[in-house]
Amino acid sequence: MVSELIAPFHDAVTNREANLNRLASEGNRLMGYFCTYTPIELLHASGFVPVRIMGEAPKVEKAYNLVPDFICPYLRKSVERGLEGAYKSLAGIVQGYTCDVTCGLVDIWKENMGGEVFHILPLPYLDQASSRSFLRSGITDLVEKLSEAGGAYSEQRLADSLDLYAGIRSRIASLYDLRSRRFLPITAREFLIVVNAFFVTPPERYLAMLEALGQALPEAPPLNGGTPVLVSGSLVEDPDMLGIIEESGGLVVSDDLCTGYRPFSPVDGHGADPVERLIDRTMNRFPCPTRSSAEDRIPRLLSLMERSGARAVVFLVQKFCTPHLGDLPTVREALSRLDIPSILIEIEEAGTMGGQNLTRINSFFEML
Amino acid sequence: MEKSTKSKKRLETSRELPLIIAQYYQECHEAKARGIPVGWMPPMNGGIELFYAMGLQPVFPENWSPVCAAFGLTGRNFEVAENMGYSRDLCGYLRNIIGYVHGMMGEAGNPLGGLPEPDIMLPPLGGCAPVMKIFQALMRRFPGAKVFKADMPQVAIEDIRRHHIDYAISEMKRLIAFLTEATGRRLDEDRLRETVVLSDRACELWDEIMAFRRCIPTPIAASDIGIMFVMVTRQGTQIAVDYLTKVRDELKERAARGAGVIENERVRLFWDNIPLWYNMGIFNYFEKQGGVVVAETYSAAWSLRLDTGNPLEALALKTLMSYPLVSCVSIKKRKEMVLKACRDYAIDGTILHRNRSCVPITLGQMDIKRELEAIGVPSLIIDADHMDGRNFSMAQFQTRADAFMEMLLHKKGFSL
Ligand code: SF4
Ligand code: SF4
Repeated sequence: MVSELIAPFHDAVTNREANLNRLASEGNRLMGYFCTYTPIELLHASGFVPVRIMGEAPKVEKAYNLVPDFICPYLRKSVERGLEGAYKSLAGIVQGYTCDVTCGLVDIWKENMGGEVFHILPLPYLDQASSRSFLRSGITDLVEKLSEAGGAYSEQRLADSLDLYAGIRSRIASLYDLRSRRFLPITAREFLIVVNAFFVTPPERYLAMLEALGQALPEAPPLNGGTPVLVSGSLVEDPDMLGIIEESGGLVVSDDLCTGYRPFSPVDGHGADPVERLIDRTMNRFPCPTRSSAEDRIPRLLSLMERSGARAVVFLVQKFCTPHLGDLPTVREALSRLDIPSILIEIEEAGTMGGQNLTRINSFFEML
Repeated sequence: MEKSTKSKKRLETSRELPLIIAQYYQECHEAKARGIPVGWMPPMNGGIELFYAMGLQPVFPENWSPVCAAFGLTGRNFEVAENMGYSRDLCGYLRNIIGYVHGMMGEAGNPLGGLPEPDIMLPPLGGCAPVMKIFQALMRRFPGAKVFKADMPQVAIEDIRRHHIDYAISEMKRLIAFLTEATGRRLDEDRLRETVVLSDRACELWDEIMAFRRCIPTPIAASDIGIMFVMVTRQGTQIAVDYLTKVRDELKERAARGAGVIENERVRLFWDNIPLWYNMGIFNYFEKQGGVVVAETYSAAWSLRLDTGNPLEALALKTLMSYPLVSCVSIKKRKEMVLKACRDYAIDGTILHRNRSCVPITLGQMDIKRELEAIGVPSLIIDADHMDGRNFSMAQFQTRADAFMEMLLHKKGFSL
């Protein structure tokens, strides 16, 4: 159950397929992406509605004709939904190079699902003048490709798109701030629905939804009860995963998720021209483990914990997700040296947190 | 875990390999003892030639994993890494090397003397996620090593444009400046040119060697692929060129007299993905029914020529191309390569190793399978792992391999 406040976001997520088809039938061109390092502002400025490929498939079957069963469930399910036709409205996929699997899938998608534009944008890992100009050239390539496919890019349009997305991100940032101070009167389950709607809604409409939410949010006394936790990990689609944490005695006050804080931080970039602004934000992104190391991430996690008062960490990691699993031992060791308890829950194909995991999470909070 | 088995080598020159391997590791230890800086780096990049040109010693932790597999050491390494919290779902190279550096490294009795500690570390910013995580873990383990991080644009071969090359060149230049500063050695341009000439010569020989696989019967098979050790560790040296020349000459002689790997070659097979390093013997498994694994995907990583007139650009290009050649950065390219190999080497059937330890090379296999079927080349999927024998069942492999061979023999009109 979700509250009235969340209903439009809930609709955007649960009816995404129908919504996307309707958007396409109204003449909008939709462009898919998997990873939030994709420069969605550029897609938008070129006249496309960026749509993150997600989607809980109840069962993965057909996808196994294309991919092995040892890639993360998120991508297996995405392929399944793709094969079921859920993304036939997409003009293609543009992807910032992050995880090996998503990038391999761009080719597989192209071969098997069809579309017009497929592009992987290599992103530098270092931030130096030559990396920035390298990224600028990559952006020029992408603009060229989008323009060939009928895109209508201009610098002014990019500036407008950057403003639009910065508007969204700053409103989301305020919600995060409220949450970390315990003043956000919605549950973690609901907040995840709000965030996930961002990925599948045209930004103009999403901004309006956020504004309406901001006005409708009641003034609430601070929440108390529940052990304040930070949730860290890859992509979480199922709101129940966070719901169960709160129902088991936790209170999510902060996160480091791919469907959470990471894609919204920082709100904007700085630069002499719109492209530089886009580059600057990309370079300064709150890092994902695909593009950073445990050493880069630990201080950031600790600072999020400090700001929010989180006392424990729940790692929600997609099974087989190498970037996260590769960092985990170091991150957990750093936490345990500071006596911060943590628990790892792997997100399996079955999705919801049933059986064993439920027992584990319950006893984790009982122990705290 | 299945018992580790070695492949049966047919080439005289292959039998020299243990010595070549031992000499390489001995050289690494001697370098360390003599104060020559030892640098750990990922394979298949231009850093190796720079190291040799500057008289530095390159070491390849990724190559150490097959060595551990051959010596049956992976079990202990995996245990150490897994006890540290590294998931069994991570690439076996990662678990093996992390387990090794936190476990038996430095103990007495390491095969080949073990790995010498790094003075320099070149963690890649590119390649696959596991290789990046490997080096992050290695930097943690050896905090005293001087570190140079280089960006390596992750771009499909068919999409490489001028700006990718220019950026890779600028990163190479930064690397040279770093090495000069860190070691006090200067890079001599002539020496670099000579190294690149040697490197290119090795690639040329590699292609010549691969071309002998067109012969029917083939004088060289996947069971002899250990020869690539020199491409991994010695590219840019006379040692690689001399050894590959000997291999080439032996193959020339064998081909001239029609000597095949086995006496009665009936079925020619292709192996996709990394071999099972702990069980190289399975390459010979098909031989009792007249099957020879003629070729494999992995060796394509060294099928590129270097522009010797432009050494830095050549090394930058090599760095850009080697990993995408064998991974999922461009499934299109890999598909083309497999199909070409099937045509060039008159392949009757392919074995697709669905490798739990390597997603980048496994991804796209199903697309490749479909294309192979379209050109009439049947394929068999083998579920295994290139490092972790716990993910491989010999019994299941045998059942499926026997049925596959039966079908291929029948298709070619051979009686069983
Ligand atoms: S969850 Fe992990 S493996 Fe899956 S797409 Fe994200 S980074 Fe890649
Ligand atoms: S390419 Fe494959 S085998 Fe090599 S490190 Fe990456 S995942 Fe492991």
